[in-house]
Amino acid sequence: MTVDNIPADTERRAPVFHFDRHTPQYREQFVDTAQEMQGKCPIAWTETYGGHWVAAGNREVFELARCPHISNDNDPAGERHGYQGISIPKPKRGSVMRAGILEMDPPEQRELRASLNPYLSPAAVQRWIPFVDEVIRAGIDEKIESGRIDFVDELANIVPAVLTLAMMGIDVHKWAIYNEPAHASVYTPPDSPDTARVAEMHRVMGIDLLTNYQEIKQNPRPGMIDAVARSTLLGVPISDMDALGMLSLIIGGGFDTTTALTAHALEWLSENPDQRELLSRERDLILDSATEEFLRYFTPAPGDGRTFAADCEVAGASFAEGERLWLSWAMANRDPEVFENPHEIDMERRGNRHYSFGLGIHRCIGSNMARMVFKRMLLAVLDRMPDYRCDPAGAVHYDTIGVIQGMRHLPADFTPGPRLGAGLEETLDKLQQACDEQRLAEPVTVHKGQAKI
Amino acid sequence: MKVHVDPDRCQGHTLCSMIAPKMFELSDFDGHSSPVSEDVPADQEENVREAVRSCPERAIAITE
Repeated sequence: MTVDNIPADTERRAPVFHFDRHTPQYREQFVDTAQEMQGKCPIAWTETYGGHWVAAGNREVFELARCPHISNDNDPAGERHGYQGISIPKPKRGSVMRAGILEMDPPEQRELRASLNPYLSPAAVQRWIPFVDEVIRAGIDEKIESGRIDFVDELANIVPAVLTLAMMGIDVHKWAIYNEPAHASVYTPPDSPDTARVAEMHRVMGIDLLTNYQEIKQNPRPGMIDAVARSTLLGVPISDMDALGMLSLIIGGGFDTTTALTAHALEWLSENPDQRELLSRERDLILDSATEEFLRYFTPAPGDGRTFAADCEVAGASFAEGERLWLSWAMANRDPEVFENPHEIDMERRGNRHYSFGLGIHRCIGSNMARMVFKRMLLAVLDRMPDYRCDPAGAVHYDTIGVIQGMRHLPADFTPGPRLGAGLEETLDKLQQACDEQRLAEPVTVHKGQAKI
Repeated sequence: MKVHVDPDRCQGHTLCSMIAPKMFELSDFDGHSSPVSEDVPADQEENVREAVRSCPERAIAITE
């Protein structure tokens, strides 16, 4: 930066608003922060984390997310422009690897995404419904006779993990190796005494992922690992580093977010039993709109970082190449300009154009899977433990929601019921067999058949 | 009423087909939407208007 630029930057970087989404206060004061920013500064500059822009208004987030001059690129080796991807601040762990398509720009992003779309499209996800229902059934059966379950540890963690591994082509019995590090690496702050243990679990997961990737490269078997291993970037076979970055993104995206949505929705429905009854009774009419409303209100992935790739003016502010930007999906989802009574849950909300899966070319590629898994878990709970009551003393929310608005524990009591089948371990044997025999992890372009369980 | 989905704006959020499944079909490959027919039958007009309001990318346009 030259001296001549400094006054101009100071003038441009206004209004200034102190924004630090990694503090516990941000979680507690989220509504106040959203209201204040939307009222006074829907785009603001904050001095935190080296200084960056924050977009909080719905219109501003919309225009910026779709602006051709913003980049998702993460370039840790400094081969292009040295941009830092979607995390603000830059993460300490894994900073040498870019997070797959989420930290690429077109045409690379488009090329790699195209190889994964046929595994995750609405038509592709349909195949897995009987598989998902069976995981849910077994998970609930483990607890149904006891009258007590932890919805996070004993249901909402298990189902997305088992499904994600199956879709990737990894043995579903390994779900636990992936499960804890995938969640704990999100909610454990760098200064926690638990950091070393989480890093070790993360390392074990990384080794298993690398082993599976190398096995599949040698001896292909169906699944998203195979798709990534065969893919190209700018026509050149993908590097192992970029492939592992993409696979880590699938795990990061597939696990914690769906768990977070499910836990928050179940907690709210426990606190609002009349709404729970209404949703169960009118599920054919309002399950879709209720799901979108839970997505809007809880926004499990609350935002994404970007970098301006050119000087530009958007939504009334002027930005300089290289500046960082935080797009707050969570605040945009509470903008009263678009959503009436934005801080209330209305399961029949109309015109609910929320941004919980992002906007533009980076729309969450797993959104169809997330919705399906969430709906199947919710319906199973409503059917098998309709009178559940969450225990507020045992519920543990993430201390900070800068990366994911999640929950660590959500214990609940309910009237015990009968088991319907085998336990989880035995069920995983059967499901892995179905994956292998029916080649369930093939893309929809190879076959469209539904899983037979 | 006529309906149009801008293929350059649509990103496959799928809300339109949830709201008006008779009017919007999704690509098997990537879930991107296209209208089943340009002409909207009278009994689908309300659903199509709701789909327009619900599209996060503002990719759907109607002409009356």
